Amino acid sequence: MDEQTRAAADLEPGSFRDPDSRVVRSEGRIFRVLSERGLADWQTFSASPLFAELVDEGKLIGTREADGVELGATGLHEQVAGALEHELVPFVSYPYEWTFGMLRAAALLQLELVRRSVEAGFMLKDSSPYNVQFVGARPVFVDVGSFEPLREGEPWAGYRQFCMLFLYPLMLQAWKDVPFQPRLRGAIDGISPAECRNLLSLRDLFRRGVLTDVVLHNRLERRYASSTRDVKGELKRAGFRKELIVANVGRLERLVSRLRPPRSDSTWSGYGLTTTYSEEDAERKRRFVADAVRAESPRLVWDVGANEGQHSRDAAASAAYVVAMDADSVVVDRLYGELTEERSERILPLVVNVVDPSPGLGWRGLERQPLPERGLPDLTLCLALLHHVSISGNVPVASFLDWLRDLGGAVVIEFPTPEDPMVRRMLARKRSNDHPDYRREWFERCLEERFDVVDSIELGAGSRIVYRARPHE
Amino acid sequence: MITTLSYIDPGTGSLVLQMIAGGVAAAAVTAKLYWRRLRRVFGANRPEDEGTPS
Repeated sequence: MDEQTRAAADLEPGSFRDPDSRVVRSEGRIFRVLSERGLADWQTFSASPLFAELVDEGKLIGTREADGVELGATGLHEQVAGALEHELVPFVSYPYEWTFGMLRAAALLQLELVRRSVEAGFMLKDSSPYNVQFVGARPVFVDVGSFEPLREGEPWAGYRQFCMLFLYPLMLQAWKDVPFQPRLRGAIDGISPAECRNLLSLRDLFRRGVLTDVVLHNRLERRYASSTRDVKGELKRAGFRKELIVANVGRLERLVSRLRPPRSDSTWSGYGLTTTYSEEDAERKRRFVADAVRAESPRLVWDVGANEGQHSRDAAASAAYVVAMDADSVVVDRLYGELTEERSERILPLVVNVVDPSPGLGWRGLERQPLPERGLPDLTLCLALLHHVSISGNVPVASFLDWLRDLGGAVVIEFPTPEDPMVRRMLARKRSNDHPDYRREWFERCLEERFDVVDSIELGAGSRIVYRARPHE
Repeated sequence: MITTLSYIDPGTGSLVLQMIAGGVAAAAVTAKLYWRRLRRVFGANRPEDEGTPS
């Protein structure tokens, strides 16, 4: 690697928590540098049958030793003892963008890895959902540095983190209909036992797992908060065995797999069926979008406001990868369920509200990245979206197009005119001059100032127009 | 708290809880195993269930 590429090697700012392992990006590849202890753990783990099994099953990210690769600044406190190269995840996502089903699948993967590791004489250092990524609908564990040899007599250090970032968020959504996404986005460490306890009612005390994992957990945490006792040593002397971890994890697996999302309907579910389109127009629109994607032959497509994911599916036929985003977690969860059954690895469903997208979070606002920094789209689909952004979200039309222009790729964007029945209904709830910029002429002027319109189609007797446009050279 | 198992804080109370919860779960598994064996002795169980408590 020459000086230039060495300078381009980029420390992954979210990987500093484990002192034995750091993630470094270089030339679009992803490496993990290890300390001496980290390397020793890797060598033991990678030689075990468990490692090969987990990679074969698609549950652990493909990883190989990267000999002779020199990476500039690695951020490790000590000398770099070894480097690994990981397979790439097409688009990085975070738990606060996942649906209920996705967080549950990630939780079950985490538990399975702990159980199988313990049985094979290994352990995982932590239990963070940020160690799980989705390749389409398939969850895959990416933190190979998390595996270490099991120390007999020691409990599972990641249990508390499992509760705070997996179990409590799922419980609160399943039982209280409190969405976990804003809470996980609000606190990088998740929901504490005390917070979870305070949010549960008397009735919830009779639910599976509550007395143990919430109430007793909270009591013990408070009781031992200022304790200086050597609990680890005491547990070991009391005969803590790995069978207790396996039993506990098995109990949590049964508990988590029984949690169900509270609702199956929402504002937008069934939206695809209730639009004002005739069947013929819907088909013309579909064909226009599919042809546009084929013409652009993009690597990465963002389908913003993907709803049931029909256009995402059409796009996936000619794009390498599609991120299907919608603000409605119920609709996205249904899409995730379908994609899981189809074993799809080309469409990543995410809960994203385009007028309030994921910011940079954590230490220095860099640990978790905003969406655009995780991969810019070559093509963005905005179908049946702009009227919601502009009229419900109050985002100026010009500002929305600025954002699209900044993404850098081509767009397929639909403009439902003020004559469209849906738009008319939305405008009727506002004062008469609240949206002076929501006019076809103004939209087209703003669009043409930023993009070259390549193609367009009129639907619904001219009440909706779909444009395909490329950014000015 | 003077012990650390990992770079994350495992929580002392959380460690104690595992002894209790794991113990209860382990006891339940053991009890189930013996219950099935007992039922088999009295001919009330299908033989293929033996030794696979879940």
